[in-house]
Amino acid sequence: MKFYYFHLMPYVMEHDEPSSWVTLSNRHYDPATGHTLYNQYLDQFEHAERLGWDGLCVNEHHQNCYGTMPSPNVMAAMLVRRTTRARIAILGNGLPLRDNPLRVAEEIAMLDVASGGRVISGFVRGISAEYFSTAVNPTHSRERFYEGAALILRAWTEEGPFPFDGRYYRYPYVNPWPRPLQKPHPPVWCPSQGSSETIEWAAKRRFPYLMVFTPIKRIAQIYGEYREACERYGYKASRYQLTVNLPVVVAETDAKARELAQKHVMWVFNVGLRMHPPFWRPPGYMTEASLRRMLANPPKLPSELTFEEAERDGYLIYGSPATVRDKLRIFADELQAGILCTAMNGGTHERTLELMQLFAEEVMPHFREDAAVDETVGVGR
Amino acid sequence: MPDARELSIRGTPIHLLREGSGPALLFLHGAGGAGRWLPFQEHLAKSFNVYFPSHPGHGGSPAAEWIEHISDLAFHYLDVLDTLELERAHLVGASFGGWIAAEIATMASHRLQSLVLIDPVGIRVDGWIYPFLFGMDMPELVSTVFHNPMAALALAPPDQSIDTLALQYRQGAALARVAWNPHLYNPLLRRRLARISTPTLLCWGAHDKIAPLVPCGQTWAREISGARLSVFDESGHVPHLEEPEAVAEAIAEFCRAAGGAA
Repeated sequence: MKFYYFHLMPYVMEHDEPSSWVTLSNRHYDPATGHTLYNQYLDQFEHAERLGWDGLCVNEHHQNCYGTMPSPNVMAAMLVRRTTRARIAILGNGLPLRDNPLRVAEEIAMLDVASGGRVISGFVRGISAEYFSTAVNPTHSRERFYEGAALILRAWTEEGPFPFDGRYYRYPYVNPWPRPLQKPHPPVWCPSQGSSETIEWAAKRRFPYLMVFTPIKRIAQIYGEYREACERYGYKASRYQLTVNLPVVVAETDAKARELAQKHVMWVFNVGLRMHPPFWRPPGYMTEASLRRMLANPPKLPSELTFEEAERDGYLIYGSPATVRDKLRIFADELQAGILCTAMNGGTHERTLELMQLFAEEVMPHFREDAAVDETVGVGR
Repeated sequence: MPDARELSIRGTPIHLLREGSGPALLFLHGAGGAGRWLPFQEHLAKSFNVYFPSHPGHGGSPAAEWIEHISDLAFHYLDVLDTLELERAHLVGASFGGWIAAEIATMASHRLQSLVLIDPVGIRVDGWIYPFLFGMDMPELVSTVFHNPMAALALAPPDQSIDTLALQYRQGAALARVAWNPHLYNPLLRRRLARISTPTLLCWGAHDKIAPLVPCGQTWAREISGARLSVFDESGHVPHLEEPEAVAEAIAEFCRAAGGAA
C-alpha cells in the first residue's frame, strides 16, 4: 500500500454560526495565527516525506475554516522546492470554478517541470458550497468540468498552437509554455463523492478514483461500480486506481487514540463541515437521477454525525498501532485500496509530529509488500 | 376549474392551464408559482381568457436544456403566442415572470395589448443588489418574499416525497440556469426598456424586500415611458398572492382603459 499525507490546513476554531462555509465571517481569521499554522502544516508535509510517506496531498476549498487552501497550486509550489522524492498530489483544482482553465494546465506544467515530474493532478468539480463562494453557475458545473478537463488534457498532449472552441471556454491559441515533464501528462486523479457519471468518466480514462470522508460500506459499493465500469472499458482496474481518503488516528494506546479522534476528527465533521443547508444543495449541481438516488437513502449530515456513528460506519480509523494495522487490513486486503491518503492530528504541532512518526514506524512498514512498485505506472493517463 | 393541456412549442413540451372568456391574457408565473390556479387567476378569469403556462422545468413542464438565457424564455413565449394563434394579448408577469414579460415587450411590443409587471426583477438597479435567493432556506425565503407569511401557505408543497423534492430541485435548477449569475437580472435589459411602446402597469408591494419599491419600482417607472405605478400596501414581493382581488381588479381596470375591455 502507498501512503499519501493529506492535509486540509484547517483553521481550527469553535463558533456558533450556522455555517463554517461561505458566510462564516473572515473576521474570525487571525492572520498572525494563520502564519503559524501554514508554517506548521508545511513543516508536517516536509516531515512526512522524511518519514517515508510516498505522496503529499493539497486541495482547494474556498471561504471556510475547514480548509484554508483556496489555491492548492500555491501550496504545491512551496512543497516542490522543499522536497525531493515524494509525489505532490493536488487533489484537486476545481476546474469549473475557473474562468480560464488553461491557467490550470500552465500551473500544473510549471510544477511538474520544476519538481522533475513528481506532480499528480486532481481534477474536481469543487464541492457544493464552492458555487456560492465563486458565483459560478452550478447548473454548468458538470459540463464545465468535462470541457475544462478535455481542454487541459489536449493542452498537455497536443503540440500547439491550436484553437479550442467549446461551449464554455474558447481560445484562438492554445499553446502553453511550459509543457509538462511527465509523458503523456501528469497522472490525473478524480476525487469524488460517488456520482455514477463521474465514475464512468474516470474509469473510461483510467483516472484513479478517490473517495473522501465516506462510510466504508459506500466505499465498497463505489469501488465495485468503478471496477465494473473499468471492465466494461476492457481492462482490469489497478489497485492504485482505488484510493481512499480516511482520517486515521494512531496513538500509543486505543484509549489515547480514541480521545484524539473524538476531539480532532469529529471537529472536521461536526464543525468543519457544518453548513447552512442550502449550501449543500445548489440547484443543478447534481443530475436529477443522482438527486433521487441520494434522497432515497439520505446520508447523515456531517454536522450531525456522532462519534459512535462515525466509528460504527467506518468514517475513520483510530487505535494503537496494532489496532490501526488490523483495521487498515480491511482497506488494503478486502477493499483492495492501493493508496491511503490521511493526515495526522494530535491537537498540537509537536504531538502531530509524534503521531506521524508512530504511524510511519509502527504501521506503514507492515503494508510495504509493494515497496518496489511505482503506483503511477499505467494509471491516470 | 381551468382546462389543463399539454402543448408542444417548437418541440418543447409545456403544461398549460386556461380558463375564462374575454380578451386573451397570458400570465407568466414567478419562482414556485407554476401550475397554481389561485384566487388571483380566478379573479382574472372573470374578465379575461387566461392562459397560464408553466415555464420549462417548472411545475408540469419538463426541463428544456436549450434554455440558457432569459431571452430564450422570451422567444419561447413569442412562440407560445404563435402556437395559441394569439395575434395580440395582454401580458402579465410576476417577479421572475415579470422579467420574462419585460424582455418580450422590448422585443415585440406590437404583440401586446398591454403589459403588467408585478414586482418584476430583471434589471440592474443602481444602489440595490437582489438578496441571493439560492442561499436561503425555506423560513428565510418565506420571510423575504411575503409581507404576510400566511399567504405562503398557498404555495406550500403537498408533501416531502422524493417526487416533490425532485420537482423543487428541477425548478430551482431551471431558475438558476438563467438567474444565478448575474443574479436575477440581464445587464442588457434596462437600456432596452425604452423600446417598450405598450401601455404598462407596474404593480408593486409596498413591503417588497427582494425588489423594493425604492429604488427598484421607481427605476422601472422611470425607464418605461408612460408606465403607471400602483402600490399595494399590504403586500411584499408577491401582491398577486397577498392581495389577489385588488391586484386582479387593478389589472382589469388598466386593461379596459388600454383598449382590451371585457
